[in-house]
Amino acid sequence: MPVKRRSMPKKTVSFSDDETLIRTRQLNGKKMPVDHYNPPVYVRKTLLTVPFHLLPLLYHFIKCSDNYDVAKLLCFLIPLQSLYLIFQFNRSTVYGNKILKIHFGLLFISLAASLLLTLPCMAMIILLGAPMTQLLKETWILAAHCCFLAYPAVYSVFNCDFKVGIFKKYFVSIALGCWISCVVLPLDWDRDWQEWPIPIVVGAYLGAFVGYPACSYI
Amino acid sequence: MGKRLIVLVVLQLIAIFTFSAGFFPQKSVMQGDAQFWYLPDEQIHMAPKFDKLVFVVIDALRADFLFQKEASNFHFVHELLNNGKAWGYTAYSNPPTVTLPRLKGITTGSTPNFLDAILNVAEDDSSSNLKEQDSWLRQFHVHNKHMKFFGDDTWLKLFPHEFFDEVDGTNSFFVSDFEQVDLNVTRHLPKQLGNQDEWDVLILHYLGLDHIGHKGGAKSHFMPAKHREMDSIIKEIYSSIDESTLLCVMGDHGMNDLGNHGGSSAGETSAGLVFISEKLEKYEKPIAQRNVVLPISELNENYEYLTKIQQIDLVPTLASLFNLPIPKNSIGVIIADFLQLFSKDASKIKIMDNYHQLVSVAQGYSEQIDDLTAIMSRMKDIQAKLAQSATNYDYSLIAIGYAVLIGITVITTASTLRLLRLTYTTALLLGTTMILSFSTFGSSFVEEEHQLWWWITIGIVGASCISNPNEILNHLLVLVCLRFVRGWNNSGQKYFFEHTIYELLKTHNNLQWVFNTLTIFAVSCNTATHDYFSFTSSFVLASLCLVYKANWSIVNGEGLPKWLEIIVFKSCSLLQEDESSDIYSETLVPLARLFFQASITVLIARILVHKYFSKKVGFFQDVHSIISSILIFQTSSANIPLFLVFQILSGRLHYLWTAYYSSNQAILMLLNLILQHLSFFQFGSTNSIATVNLTNAYNGVSDDYNIYTVGLLMCIGNFAPSIYWSLASSKVLYKSNTDKWSVFYRAKLPQFFFYCLFGCFLLASCIILRYHLFIWSVFSPKLCYYVTWNAFMNGLIGWVVEGLLVALY
Repeated sequence: MPVKRRSMPKKTVSFSDDETLIRTRQLNGKKMPVDHYNPPVYVRKTLLTVPFHLLPLLYHFIKCSDNYDVAKLLCFLIPLQSLYLIFQFNRSTVYGNKILKIHFGLLFISLAASLLLTLPCMAMIILLGAPMTQLLKETWILAAHCCFLAYPAVYSVFNCDFKVGIFKKYFVSIALGCWISCVVLPLDWDRDWQEWPIPIVVGAYLGAFVGYPACSYI
Repeated sequence: MGKRLIVLVVLQLIAIFTFSAGFFPQKSVMQGDAQFWYLPDEQIHMAPKFDKLVFVVIDALRADFLFQKEASNFHFVHELLNNGKAWGYTAYSNPPTVTLPRLKGITTGSTPNFLDAILNVAEDDSSSNLKEQDSWLRQFHVHNKHMKFFGDDTWLKLFPHEFFDEVDGTNSFFVSDFEQVDLNVTRHLPKQLGNQDEWDVLILHYLGLDHIGHKGGAKSHFMPAKHREMDSIIKEIYSSIDESTLLCVMGDHGMNDLGNHGGSSAGETSAGLVFISEKLEKYEKPIAQRNVVLPISELNENYEYLTKIQQIDLVPTLASLFNLPIPKNSIGVIIADFLQLFSKDASKIKIMDNYHQLVSVAQGYSEQIDDLTAIMSRMKDIQAKLAQSATNYDYSLIAIGYAVLIGITVITTASTLRLLRLTYTTALLLGTTMILSFSTFGSSFVEEEHQLWWWITIGIVGASCISNPNEILNHLLVLVCLRFVRGWNNSGQKYFFEHTIYELLKTHNNLQWVFNTLTIFAVSCNTATHDYFSFTSSFVLASLCLVYKANWSIVNGEGLPKWLEIIVFKSCSLLQEDESSDIYSETLVPLARLFFQASITVLIARILVHKYFSKKVGFFQDVHSIISSILIFQTSSANIPLFLVFQILSGRLHYLWTAYYSSNQAILMLLNLILQHLSFFQFGSTNSIATVNLTNAYNGVSDDYNIYTVGLLMCIGNFAPSIYWSLASSKVLYKSNTDKWSVFYRAKLPQFFFYCLFGCFLLASCIILRYHLFIWSVFSPKLCYYVTWNAFMNGLIGWVVEGLLVALY
């Protein structure tokens, strides 16, 4: 007979009313061992997780900017994602029953990590079918977009003892967005926006926009 | 379930063939010979502008071969063009751009029937005969002119022998011969040019240039010499004819840069056309020719040099120049430049005659228009309209075929759902089928079908990787292999990458042959049994295969590393005792036959061993490796290392399947189907007739060949990777303790379901889009490919071959 594990006494300090509810549901549902070494990590289901800033960014990219400047879009994306992380995503990430304060040092470390991740990400994109010898700069920019869209999740991975498993779905959602958007590439409409990597970038944004709020439900 | 499924498969094939028979009907043509339409009495007494015609067809002579500086070596023609003795045109040849339909177009002036492209391959067919149909040849014949013909025997298939006083046909399908095929035509020239009273029309059709294209592409190093040879022939003819003879040099179609043709790309449809006569110098050159010096140095990416005309415009032009009635079914419009050869009244009569004739084909009313330029533009409109509506469909056959197919699909869907239940696999199968099915409604998705297969493949690999996180390395390896497959060749119409692995290996001979040797031995010797017999037999097969492939490369002027050349020379000397100069090309056919005999012997021996010593273990693997070496044999050399990639890939996939999905046959068969298609496209094939590869269709075939052998070899060559994948999964599918037939039928059902449902959508899109601009260039070829996939891959390989193997197991 295995010894029954005593669950940790619940903390009374709570930031929102529904949080305790969710946590107990999770604990009951999955029978997660909760102790000092395995604190629960999850993302709350609040409106805070919705990355609203992506929509005006996309709108600007598609409607206002001329000839779809992906590099410029990247320049806008990085600060906005940082703000989203500080004010929205971090506030809905629960680590060990509490929400951690933003760690500015880590913010920069994970920014650098995202930048480094662009290289394996680029290799992955090429592996998934991007041209091998041509358009490398464009492929890198696409990788950069993907990595900085995943930046809040990367930060949280660093912040939460490298619990990659919990944040994997965020990466997958961005990849899924990219994958679906590939459909428009073979069409022979010869539009400007069919240029590599514009549709995939848009797909990645949509994937992130849907993924960030939806993943806390999965 | 088994018997019912077999009946369904047979019925489905019948349904598809019925549909195709209705969809590709023979075109209705007007019978009888044409008469002059406009003022016939006056026209009969008009004098012809030329008395004699020399008509030289150079197969696949693209416009830039005649006019462009880097591509062309026709220096004598350039000289004539520059001093106005020749008028040059780029002639648009209607797709399908293969010889037989194009000859029909050039002689009758009608637009081709799509079926002609297929019949071009089936030599014995008599339905494409032009005996009864009106053509300018028939008009010459009716008006008692004497004709002689030398060259491609397609002409002799089209026209009855009584048209000609003297013929000598050369065979158009033995592609590896560049020299003899043309010398056989040219050797008649001195005699014919010496006795010009004997003929009024001399027709020559040269095939060598097309053969060079098929073998080495448009930029082959054999090309300049061939151009110079053709140029010297034109010079020879020109110097011995007089002012009253018209020399007409033309290509029946063009070629793309790979040297293939059949499709509708700019290169394939832009044929060159030159009229040569001293008489032309007296008149003004065509406008586009006036201010340019030939050869033209700038490149035109649409291959439009000088004036662009329709190739069929040749027909009324020739008829007018020789004062003959315009053939009845012609929809050509007389070339405006030639009107200056006539007096003002005569030119009006000729235009009006052409106009009335066109209106009669269109079955419309001739409006009274007096302005000649207005008539010319009206004729162009009628021509464009007629060219579009080329065929009449047989709606009853279409309806029967389609209804039967729908019925079969309903039954198949029901039994598939009953077998698989509602699981993720069913969803995946249904999803894949629906994605492909809906894609048939978009012409670009049909052209870029390989992208869809690739998209589905990486989706499935990704999903499998996420659900089995501890197998990341194996999934990564699978992905790397797949990426190699994708990067090997270009497919589709939209993207063209210069740095494919195929091109890389083509330029690095040593590397290519190291990999080829490795692949041939690795694949052939990948047997499950490790005894003396199986090792020796697979070693012999592999060596024969390697020597033949290497020898083929020598004969066709592709480079070969020194070490291999020595081996080839030694082995050829074994076969050929007397040391003749041409040892390589003479041993080619015997070597291929030896290989085929050896492989079949080994295959039968393996089956016998299995039957009498009941060695069940590894039966499918052994058979698969023997068949693989035949497949490699039928593959062009720079594609051979792909089989090594396949080998690694199938190893990893089968490991993953056995470890994680072993109870799920449907997913294995779905993967099998996806890889069949993906590898088919990444072998360089597309959904266009142009990429049908003929290079390996003549292995071991001598001059007096059998069309069915060539057809079978062609199918094996083009579907080699698909056959590999189709038979690969039987290695892991059949285990000795299960009922083999129930496994067989259960495994066949998902693929059959795909073919049925996909077929319903494809046939529907063909009917709905039958007036679409791309119906002949995109949708109809796709339908042909679909029929081939069903009959050859699903029917012959999937059911007959695999069924036989299962029966013997």
